[in-house]
Amino acid sequence: MTDQELGELSFTRTFDAPRELVFRCLIEPEHLTHFWGPAGTSAPLAQIKADPRPGGVFETVMVNDADGSEYPTRAVYVEVTEPERLVWTETHSGMTVTLTLSDLGDGRTHVRIHQARVPAEFRTPQAQAGFLTSLDRFAGYLAGLPPQR
Amino acid sequence: MTSDRLDATFAALADPTRRAIVARLAAGDATVTELAAPFRMSLPGISKHLKVLERSGLIARTRHAQFRPCHLRAEALDEALGWIEESRRIWDERFHKLDAHLRDIQQAHPSGDNHD
Repeated sequence: MTDQELGELSFTRTFDAPRELVFRCLIEPEHLTHFWGPAGTSAPLAQIKADPRPGGVFETVMVNDADGSEYPTRAVYVEVTEPERLVWTETHSGMTVTLTLSDLGDGRTHVRIHQARVPAEFRTPQAQAGFLTSLDRFAGYLAGLPPQR
Repeated sequence: MTSDRLDATFAALADPTRRAIVARLAAGDATVTELAAPFRMSLPGISKHLKVLERSGLIARTRHAQFRPCHLRAEALDEALGWIEESRRIWDERFHKLDAHLRDIQQAHPSGDNHD
């Protein structure tokens, strides 16, 4: 097994767009509808609800293009720090998703997704604080990186 | 697999001793005594870890046999790892679409204000 904690997932991508724009794409339904559904699905604008502030709802429905079956997801925003960090927790699974956006200084933006299935015993405020601290460190590390070419 | 079940699997795998036990069982069935050998841990200590793994569905133990060898339920491990792969695929495909969307809107509004 790798040293990555099981039950956690990290994923990164660099976009050729300024950080403010990438952030808006991640919170505004008019943008989300264009990319939220993975291949073979779509995310209808009418079914996206996004109230990007702590405690606000984030609801989406992915519709299978082939058979019309629907996969609704309901989440609640935990942190919205424009334009650098976005955190939400899925209400049914308790899974927390953190997106960290780093401005590479050349018009590009590095986005890191951290997705964790957090067992109930780790959902205390103390445990959450520790979780955020480690993400803070990682964000600081990313911010110190030279732009990649 | 239900969400609760996945959570139990990941919670069980969050402990390094239990991960080592799972790795050992991937090589073949073993008794509690055999599993305890590499660890500086009492048999009751190991048994406690085995109970957590058993409850999560990651291992199974024969009820009737005297030595109750432990068996890794590979399908439970596969399901847990499958969740990771599935999540990775979804984000990969989303980001692929986002990349195209960002290109579209920046071409439509090259002068600065990219908002609708």
